[in-house]
Amino acid sequence: MQTKDRVGVFVCHCGHNIAGSVDIKTVVEAVKKIPGVAFVTDYRYMCSTPGQELVANSITEYKLTGVVMANCSPNLHERTFRNLAAKVGLNPYLLEVANIREHCSWPHWHQPEKATHKAITIIKTIVARVKQDAALYPIHSGITKRAVVIGGGIAGIQCALDIADAGYDVHVVEKSPSIGGKMVQLSETFPTLDCPQCILTPKMTDLANHGNITLHTHSEVGEVEGYVGNFNVKIVEKPRYVDMEKCTGCGDCMTNCPVHYQPAIQPKPKYSKYIDKEIIAEIEPIVSPFTGDSSAVVQVLLDINSIYNYLPEDALKFVSEKLDVPLSRVYQVASFYTAFSLTPRGRHIVKVCMGTACHAKGAPRVLDEIERRIGIRAGETSKDMRYSLETVNCLGCCALGPVVTIDETYYHADPQDVGQMFDKFEEDEK
Amino acid sequence: MKKIKTLEELKKLAAELRKKAKTSRKTISICNGTGCLALGAAAVTKAMKSEIKKRKLDVSVVAITETGCHGFCERGPLMVIRPRNIFYHNVKPEDVPEIVETTVIKGRVIDRLLYEHPHTKEKITKADDVPFYKLQTRLVFGSNEHIDPTNIDDYIRIGGYSALPKALKMGPPGIIENVSKAGLRGRGGGGFPTGRKWQGAARADGDIKYVICNADEGDPGAYMDRSISEGNPHSVIEGMIIGAYAIGANRGYIYVRQEYPLAVENYSKAIRAARKYGFLGKNIFKSGFDFDIEISRGGGAFVAGESSALFASIEGRAAVPRPKHIHATDKGLWDKPTVLNNVETWANIPIIINKGADWFASIGTEKSKGTKIFSLVGKVNNTGLVEVPMGVTLREIIYDIGGGIKNGKKFKGVQTGGPSGGVIPEKLLDLPVDFDSLSDAGSMMGSGGMIVFDEDNCMVDIAKYFTGFLKDESCGQCTPCREGLAQMFEVLNDITEGRGTEKHLEMLEELCWGIAETSLCQLGASAPNPVLSTLRYFKDEYEAHIKEKRCPAGVCKSLVTYEIDAEKCTGCTICARKCPVGAISGEAKKPHNIDTSKCTKCGICYDVCKFDAVVRK
Repeated sequence: MQTKDRVGVFVCHCGHNIAGSVDIKTVVEAVKKIPGVAFVTDYRYMCSTPGQELVANSITEYKLTGVVMANCSPNLHERTFRNLAAKVGLNPYLLEVANIREHCSWPHWHQPEKATHKAITIIKTIVARVKQDAALYPIHSGITKRAVVIGGGIAGIQCALDIADAGYDVHVVEKSPSIGGKMVQLSETFPTLDCPQCILTPKMTDLANHGNITLHTHSEVGEVEGYVGNFNVKIVEKPRYVDMEKCTGCGDCMTNCPVHYQPAIQPKPKYSKYIDKEIIAEIEPIVSPFTGDSSAVVQVLLDINSIYNYLPEDALKFVSEKLDVPLSRVYQVASFYTAFSLTPRGRHIVKVCMGTACHAKGAPRVLDEIERRIGIRAGETSKDMRYSLETVNCLGCCALGPVVTIDETYYHADPQDVGQMFDKFEEDEK
Repeated sequence: MKKIKTLEELKKLAAELRKKAKTSRKTISICNGTGCLALGAAAVTKAMKSEIKKRKLDVSVVAITETGCHGFCERGPLMVIRPRNIFYHNVKPEDVPEIVETTVIKGRVIDRLLYEHPHTKEKITKADDVPFYKLQTRLVFGSNEHIDPTNIDDYIRIGGYSALPKALKMGPPGIIENVSKAGLRGRGGGGFPTGRKWQGAARADGDIKYVICNADEGDPGAYMDRSISEGNPHSVIEGMIIGAYAIGANRGYIYVRQEYPLAVENYSKAIRAARKYGFLGKNIFKSGFDFDIEISRGGGAFVAGESSALFASIEGRAAVPRPKHIHATDKGLWDKPTVLNNVETWANIPIIINKGADWFASIGTEKSKGTKIFSLVGKVNNTGLVEVPMGVTLREIIYDIGGGIKNGKKFKGVQTGGPSGGVIPEKLLDLPVDFDSLSDAGSMMGSGGMIVFDEDNCMVDIAKYFTGFLKDESCGQCTPCREGLAQMFEVLNDITEGRGTEKHLEMLEELCWGIAETSLCQLGASAPNPVLSTLRYFKDEYEAHIKEKRCPAGVCKSLVTYEIDAEKCTGCTICARKCPVGAISGEAKKPHNIDTSKCTKCGICYDVCKFDAVVRK
């Protein structure tokens, strides 16, 4: 820490970029009053050659012990100015950047007063920081270019292979007797739906055979000490009662072993205690007869959908638990079929048939007119929850196309009669 | 209700029912199919019931039958009064008192409600003489108008369930031999020989086997399966029992889409009724054979029509297909041998058993036997369901039965086979309709959708429509179908919006090839058909979009503008009043004007103008 602080503050206009919203004069005046500030100046472009000369000369002239550059983000010019400081004999780490552009003038472009105030606050903070700065000197130390990868799942395997392929030694530490991790337990992978084993097993063999990789299965990391570039890691190998030198991996010991461990099965989630009791009361009579019957998912969801006109999330959870089907699969079914909706739908469901016969006779125009008449687009529900508008592939009434249904009633709809059709429906509704 | 155990008991019951039916002098059969319901059949039925009650007419005078679809949906609500078979169309509730007074009580015909021959202008009294019906052969579909689908006795009265004891006597090999000899091919689309499919399942190892009826009918533009399911569910159930016995299955499923609630209801009622008579359950007709059927509702997914996806759906999973290196007849539902047939296929089985394989095989062409029901829709005068023998030409169906194109417009093409099929142009109208000739023409039989297009339909738009449909319905499992269709849709969209170049056509052809060759299931493999067939027969339309930036049919909004011809415009103001966005202005009796900046190109002005003053360019 410096005994007597002489901090220099250089405020940059950045053309119009900072000066456009931050009032530089006010800033300079305010900064002058900060304790420890020995010198303040401003300049149009501090990063330009004359700007840099100004900084370098001032450091020498005013014997500055610390520098705050109030300009753009340190990402851009921190190095420029630190190199400059080093050239004139100031330890570069005693120079800091106060970002008054990206964090101040730009975001508060239309609030110049607030921007000016914020700029002053930022500079104050950085001045306080510079006063705490100590001179730093880079050191050189030898490092061992060798990596430890902890965990032999798909991420660990890929990581180890990448490092090893780049030419470095890698030690892979895996807790269980085999690498492979959770991925082998999956049935399909997104988005190609390849089987995980197909992706994984070549990588597992690659890893086992790689010259740069040492595999430690059935092992755990005991302790880690040291620092970046110089770690010491202790690997604890669990007893395996097998002479690894002689083992051929035939697997006979496994089949002949009198003790077998079942793989741990994750407990099933219990949703029912969090589910709305009213929903349970309503759907229990539908769901209960199919308890444990995974084949009933579609049928049960159809019945629930007909109660609410959509599938509430709680209902899906209840079905998952009762029918003993993973929630992900219930969601898959619920999002696959067009009959289901995952969002609430209106009191009246308007379906416009988009079948071939109806299309040929002008169904798209009917849809346009209905969208205009009720003010929502296909797939939407009106704000007052009166209508939901949907298109369907075929209503099975092809001889009369274009066909529209409102709730369960069929209408033959000409584009120019859509208005009348709704007038009549709304009258009947009353 | 007593369980029926022998053919004799069944025959006795049928005779009794026929005798009872004759006690009422008149029967009024009112079509309550979806088409007629949309046109107000429910109100007509209600009016008829209250009129009969009001006049205190009992069942000895008149009986009402609420039937399933009669087929001539265009003219609904339909009514047939027996025994004279008087056919009334476009019946309104206010016509009902007159019908009861004049036709039912006095026995006279009301001219106004009769069908008028479009050419001779002659009034036709009998349903069978109406050209639409006269030219059909209604083997499967004909019973619809005679029975109340919710009443099993009606089905028994017309000879229903009599094929079942005969089949049980034939034994499984006998049934399969008959079905094979009849030459029945799957009506769901592929046209696989039914007998061979059953043979495969019968030979497959396993104690548990299944039969499934595919009533998912995902094809947009086809509704014949719905009409059989709603109008005559017992014919399907009887077929399934026979099929189950033939392959040794004890359990069956009917997979119905939930968009057909009436079909679900009528199948449920029919199953319950069949159980009561002992046609379903244990020891059917004392044969020692047990069988029962369960209904599984589909959640709405086109791909569920693919067999392995349908199995996944019944198993309670998302309807996603699997690779088919193993046949369903070896490993189908729950990995057990399974026979999956379409509604219409099952409904053909009792007919084959009753009338014999040779009789059935005498109908149709060399390789396609029997009849096929088509959903004749689109721009044709008589829309509805049409059942014709295989081998009838498209021209006969569209012009003779369908009465030609609406409003005297020019025929452009007919689409068969749903999204997996193609569009057939005018030059191929004399093509005999069977499985093989349609495939050769680049389309397919499919489940029987037949959508007629006229000069006002744009073929590029139709190709875009089907591609968009399939893109949305792709299950997303395999990349060629998921990504390829999305890409193909973009290309077609570019063409319809005027950004097409010559390169786009090359790209389309390459995409079609790639998707067809590398997709996992038939949805993807057949998805390029609509594009390929329109490219093959209507390339000039693609070129007009690309080279001249013009949509010849005036469908593609980006390439069309609407203008008013000042000379023709009389200033009647109808267009201005009908315009939903207020883009048309002008004083009464003076020519109007369209503000193109406001115009959304909805085309309503074009439709409503009586003077052809609105011009589409």
